[in-house]
Amino acid sequence: MPELKLDRITKHFKNKIAVDNVSLTLREGVYGFLGANGAGKTTLLRMICGVLKPTFGEISCNGIEIGRLDGDYRYLLGYLPQDFGYYPEFTARRYLEYLAACKAVPKALAKERVEEMLHLTGLANDQRNKIKTFSGGMLRRLGIAQALLNDPELLILDEPTSGLDPKERIRFRNIISSLSKGRIIILSTHIVSDVEFIADEILLMKQGRMIEQGTVAEVTQSVNGKVWEYLAAPEEAIRMNEAFPVSNLKNEGEKVRLRLLSDTCPCEGAIKVPPGLEDVYLYHFEEVSEHGDHLERRTL
Amino acid sequence: MTSQKRATPPAGRHKDQAINLTDWKFPMDETKKAQSLSVIRMAAEQKRIRPCPTFIEQLFNQLRFQTWRYWILQGMILLTAMVLALTLHKRQADRIETLAACSVFLVFAGNIFLGHVASLFSWHMAELEQTLYLNLKQMVCIRMLEAGIADLVILTLFLIITGSKQPSEIGTSLIYMLVPFLWSDTLYLHMLTNLRNISLGFRSLAFGLLSGILALFPILWESVYQPKYLVIWQILTLAGLCLLIAEVYGLLGKIENGGDICLN
Repeated sequence: MPELKLDRITKHFKNKIAVDNVSLTLREGVYGFLGANGAGKTTLLRMICGVLKPTFGEISCNGIEIGRLDGDYRYLLGYLPQDFGYYPEFTARRYLEYLAACKAVPKALAKERVEEMLHLTGLANDQRNKIKTFSGGMLRRLGIAQALLNDPELLILDEPTSGLDPKERIRFRNIISSLSKGRIIILSTHIVSDVEFIADEILLMKQGRMIEQGTVAEVTQSVNGKVWEYLAAPEEAIRMNEAFPVSNLKNEGEKVRLRLLSDTCPCEGAIKVPPGLEDVYLYHFEEVSEHGDHLERRTL
Repeated sequence: MTSQKRATPPAGRHKDQAINLTDWKFPMDETKKAQSLSVIRMAAEQKRIRPCPTFIEQLFNQLRFQTWRYWILQGMILLTAMVLALTLHKRQADRIETLAACSVFLVFAGNIFLGHVASLFSWHMAELEQTLYLNLKQMVCIRMLEAGIADLVILTLFLIITGSKQPSEIGTSLIYMLVPFLWSDTLYLHMLTNLRNISLGFRSLAFGLLSGILALFPILWESVYQPKYLVIWQILTLAGLCLLIAEVYGLLGKIENGGDICLN
């Protein structure tokens, strides 16, 4: 079972610091990697996969630097890039067979694994169709299938659920949960619900730095006492929505139930509620969310 | 495995006693043995056996997954080269004419073969390929080797039809054909490696124009084939070769160091 160690990883792009002094030790389990767009998640994952080299620091697997492990490291790796590539003229089956060959999966086993992955991702009926005819969700499923082909001990998935419908996302979560034993799974996303229930550990990244790390319970503890619920009149709700980060709004008859974040009691009548991971996310990424994240402040 | 260590008979003892001792076995705790074997079996089951495909297998794998279009294109290039060779032979074209025609063809054939290397960077596949056991750098090397072999086959065919008998004549024919070929390949790789921000359409157009000029250059000035210019041809061959090697080295270096070329 591999142990992945990131030691003071830093990556510079010209004048920009994309990843800043990140140190982590990853062992068996599912790691939910959360952060807003531009937080440095993809850059860090690319370095873990060996696509990019860190400007400073070292990534090692079982004590050996990954560059030195070379093919031995890549043999353990399954990767789904954010911008998943494919040859459009290939059929799904042929594409998986090609990647299995490139992943050094023996020919006899490859056939079996391709079959298994096609069924697992629900692409068995479309296996003879050219990839260029696939919908966004099918492409994402194909991406997940290719990442799992070699039964990787280190599985890295960058935004794996984008483009999947709710049913497919649940199916994906179940697949990941069932695979979590005996391997390291890093699941990068900014969709909190993707990782909330399956991640053993949450890693929160902001502006290239790791700002929080721990189990869901540990991470949510950081905003304990800062999440409030308040039943407000519509006009008051508008004012509250402008004044505080609001993680949820719900119309209840003539009034509006607000779930908001505040270090102190926002108003008389507000009650403290236990925080969820989405609250933690909003607490840390409120500034970013205003510029287009999925948790952008809703208007009444 | 059921072999058990037998004790050797002690020296100097009676023969009968020695015979009895040959049947003597170390007392073995069967329970402990079963436990040990079980632990070994479990460890063996957990151990991942990593297959290491040979270079030939990897080469074959790259060919195995080529599309039918690729094979048709390869076949057409070879067929066209043979038709060109036969036509020139039939028309009893002079050596200069033959060399010029072959040079032009070789440039375009070379570029088509290199296009096969460039396809590794298309469709956002480079990033994923870089993380595979057979990674992008190795794939590029394999495809370059395939392109090199295909170029060599066509070059040999052309050398045969230029009708050169003397080694010196073969040498000069080779140099005349290699110059446009090497320079256009260098240009292709340079554009592939360094001009990635330019749109694919513009890049292809610019490259087509430039390599076309390079390939047509000897036809426009046939006098350049005169022996007095041979030194210039030799210098251009050497320079082209050095630049091509530098471009290949640069491309592989950029992949190795995780440059933009690997990113989607």
